[in-house]
Amino acid sequence: MASVSIDNPMTDAEQIGSKPPRLVPNYWPFVLPALLVVSAVIVFPWLFTLWMSLNSWTLGQPRTFIGFANYVRLVQDMRFWESLWHTTTYTALSVVLPLFFGTLAALVFDAKFPFRGFLRGVFVMPMMATPVAVALVWTMMFHPQLGVLNYLLSLVGIGPQEWIYNQSAVIPSLVIVETWQWTPLVMLIVLGGLAAVPREPYESAEIDGANAWQKFRYLTMPMIAPFLMIAVIIRSIDAIKSFDIIYAMTQGGPGTASETINIYLYNTAFAYYDIGYGSAMAVVFFLIIIALSFVLLMVRQRANWSDMEDR
Amino acid sequence: MATVNIQNIQKNYGAVKVIHGIDIDISDGEFVALVGPSGCGKSTLLRMIAGLEEVSGGEIRIGPREVSHIPARDRDIAMVFQNYALYPHMTVEENMGFALKLKKADVAEIKSKVGRAAAILGLEKLLDRYPKQLSGGQRQRVAMGRAIVRDPAVFLFDEPLSNLDAKLRVQMRGEIKTMHQRIGTTTIYVTHDQVEAMTMADKIVVLHDGHIEQIGAPLDLYDRPANIFVAGFIGSPAMNFIDGRIEEGAFRTSKGLILPLPQTLPSIPGGRDLVYGIRPEHIRASTQGIEGRAILVEGTGSELFVRLDAKGEDIACLFRERLDIGFGDTVFAEIDPTKAHLFDKQTGRRI
Repeated sequence: MASVSIDNPMTDAEQIGSKPPRLVPNYWPFVLPALLVVSAVIVFPWLFTLWMSLNSWTLGQPRTFIGFANYVRLVQDMRFWESLWHTTTYTALSVVLPLFFGTLAALVFDAKFPFRGFLRGVFVMPMMATPVAVALVWTMMFHPQLGVLNYLLSLVGIGPQEWIYNQSAVIPSLVIVETWQWTPLVMLIVLGGLAAVPREPYESAEIDGANAWQKFRYLTMPMIAPFLMIAVIIRSIDAIKSFDIIYAMTQGGPGTASETINIYLYNTAFAYYDIGYGSAMAVVFFLIIIALSFVLLMVRQRANWSDMEDR
Repeated sequence: MATVNIQNIQKNYGAVKVIHGIDIDISDGEFVALVGPSGCGKSTLLRMIAGLEEVSGGEIRIGPREVSHIPARDRDIAMVFQNYALYPHMTVEENMGFALKLKKADVAEIKSKVGRAAAILGLEKLLDRYPKQLSGGQRQRVAMGRAIVRDPAVFLFDEPLSNLDAKLRVQMRGEIKTMHQRIGTTTIYVTHDQVEAMTMADKIVVLHDGHIEQIGAPLDLYDRPANIFVAGFIGSPAMNFIDGRIEEGAFRTSKGLILPLPQTLPSIPGGRDLVYGIRPEHIRASTQGIEGRAILVEGTGSELFVRLDAKGEDIACLFRERLDIGFGDTVFAEIDPTKAHLFDKQTGRRI
């Protein structure tokens, strides 16, 4: 080892003295196409949105630069805060419930039983349906007079509910649809995790004296935690920007009871044509999503036992 | 600590019988090696003792208790697996203390027991690491530590050294032996490596096709193998086997090679087909004896392994002295007749 460092002082000095070869400009032709595409479809729209958020611009009227006035208006806008709260509850419930039922389903489908493959196929079907079609079907099922849900409730002696037509029930009702459609995705992710879990530790746990619950609590759960985190990240980002199901079923109603930031933003920009204010909302919403992703990625790092040597 | 008694233990997978009624008695504190070639049923037997495999018939007693139908966690055993089977998401300390945590032992007690085991195995500095951050030998030690911490009645080892390199294997072999001498817990050790069995065990059980071929102390098996299988399995390099008959007071092969007979022989009817067994290390280079041509010469410095072609018979010799032998040279090999064995060719049993 020592001989290597002593042998080459001259060559080292020569290398330091001479200028490094200038290769950098030669890369540009290769990077350029991608750079152009990214600039056109990502960078430009964002800069444009940012610029518009600093302007008062309603379609059909002249645009004027107003600085941060749109942001000040946003802070004072009670409807915005309300939509932020709706987004938060909708997102939280749409993550937790599919995660719970998806994990449960994965544990069931991980066991061996007859027709398992077929039943797995049936179980993942909701995921394949178009959200708008799903919304239409569930709107019919939620119908207070004609819907099948109230009929089913009547069979067990529970009176009719208003579901999406009731201000306090609308978000939970929408979450039911979201859960129905996206539990299979969580199931698939967790099922993959269960397949990757090594089997040997279960034998040593058996000898160490663990019962079935302890094996689940101390082995299965921590070992599938990285996969649960992936499911949480995917679900959180999907749920927070959920639009189609809510718009198709309630358009944010009744009143503004199910108006999430997305819906409010859409209404502002494309129903009231207040593009400047809508852009300010989009910028804030974007920052919220970035912050959420960042937090989730940090948590994911902590949960990941499979690359613990990297920490 | 406890005795282990295995009586008429059987194992079937459907119609396939893999263990055919085995009896083994293990005394308190004894180190027993189950040894045999792949597929002989040694690991299955160990897993049945552990409770990881159902017993198809017979009974297993650990101490006075019949355990063959109680779950593994209630058998008071600890097991070290070939692939270590550590908990990947727990640190070394958590791995070692897991069994005690399940028993709801208090934190101070867990810490002190883990600390003591870590000191025995030299793991003190690795307690905060995860299994992925350890080398094979260190993981193996953690697996052993996990077993020690439990202070079980019986230790079970399932080929624990197979995944280690040769040098580390020799070192860990010594460490396991030392640990046994220090702790004195009854130990059952499965291996396919007869050197491991010979060097570590108080008693060796040689298994073959789900039957016991022989049980005995290591040197007993070496000196007095019950049959051709044990004679060939125990000892490295393996014993020479030469077919022939006793004629006119000497052992003759069909090709006319004459080998010296042991002095103390029961009377053997002439014309019976026999197998002559002699270990390579019991053959000396000499100026007389069997004449053969060297067809393979391998020197390791401390010894010289030579294969001779003597009248068409292939005879392996292990010489302790340095000799100038080259390929094709003529060598005279002298057999120590007191170390020779005769086996019945039909039954394989030693005469």
